Amino acid sequence: MKRKVALFAVASGLLFMQSALLAHHGTAGYNTKDPVTVDGIVNEFQFVNPHCIVSLAAKDAKGEEQKWQGELTSPNHLLRAGWNAHSLKPGDKITITGFRSMSGANSMWITKTVVNGQELKTAAGD
Amino acid sequence: MRNHSMGLLFALAFSGLAFAQQTAATPDLSGVWNLRGSPQTRFLSWGFMADEPPMTPWAQEKFKATKPSFGPRSFKDSNDPVNPTTLSAVGCFPPGMPRIYLQPFPMEIIQSPGRVMLVYEFNHFIRQIWTDGRAHNTDLGNTWFGDSIGKWEGDTLVVDTIGINDKSWIDRAGHPHSDQLHVVERVRRLDPATMQIDLTFEDPKAYTKPWGGTLRFQRHPTWNITEMVCEDNVNFDEFLKNEEKGGK
Repeated sequence: MKRKVALFAVASGLLFMQSALLAHHGTAGYNTKDPVTVDGIVNEFQFVNPHCIVSLAAKDAKGEEQKWQGELTSPNHLLRAGWNAHSLKPGDKITITGFRSMSGANSMWITKTVVNGQELKTAAGD
Repeated sequence: MRNHSMGLLFALAFSGLAFAQQTAATPDLSGVWNLRGSPQTRFLSWGFMADEPPMTPWAQEKFKATKPSFGPRSFKDSNDPVNPTTLSAVGCFPPGMPRIYLQPFPMEIIQSPGRVMLVYEFNHFIRQIWTDGRAHNTDLGNTWFGDSIGKWEGDTLVVDTIGINDKSWIDRAGHPHSDQLHVVERVRRLDPATMQIDLTFEDPKAYTKPWGGTLRFQRHPTWNITEMVCEDNVNFDEFLKNEEKGGK
């Protein structure tokens, strides 16, 4: 019974995330089934509408540098969750987890952000 | 001169009294409100109810042509007038009434005698609901948000809206409406932190019977409405280009 409840909670959570988070481009462009996690160094943080954008440099399995981009919800939603325009700075160590673009690009909708070892809670919304 | 000043003073005092009486008798809906999910709401904010609305053949034809960005029928090449997902289209047409309620941004209600103002964070659209007893005025023709008049029934503000153009979808899932759409909203506070809006849609051209939904909002005393400009979507062009080409 406990397991069923836990599964339901996970399923509800996924539904919520898909509806509340995957917005501007709709739900069709992302692989929501297999979230990916990328470690890197922040190159640029744009606190802009409609979605905030993080650009980072990561390393692949061979140690070669790969550029990644991640999007978050809009500045007003992030502001209310405790972020501001200076929450991420070039040179910050960052780990992002999220839904990768179906195109296969190094691009994702971020669902979890850890900066210099500390998680910044992501807000729900377009 | 002195008499004139006294007269003015009395006039001000009486208008202040009248204002106080009007506001004391009127329920207070003011504040910043954010949509919460409700049991009837489809996946939070794509639609107004869980079931498929009762479309006429006219509406079904239109529905087939819509490609929403959201909901169970989401398309990668969406033609959503507010939020298209093709790279060349900015979109940003107004969501219109009633879809504005489903855009996932808060709204502020500002009340004054004779008028209730709804300020939506999404692109800063506003609706003015006249509660001074006037009749509908559609001299402007059909508009995105229509013409709204309201009256107080006990603790409930009953809003009647007509004169809505047919350029918008009724929800974010691509269901159409015609310019015959008539929306009735019943707005009331359930408790200090919760407001409920029951919406009813009548549109004989698009729907075989009236339908609607219930939305619940949470009050956020510490929030302000902030800038959100849809045309800023151009900030995202480069991001989308990187996604489209599948490159780095």
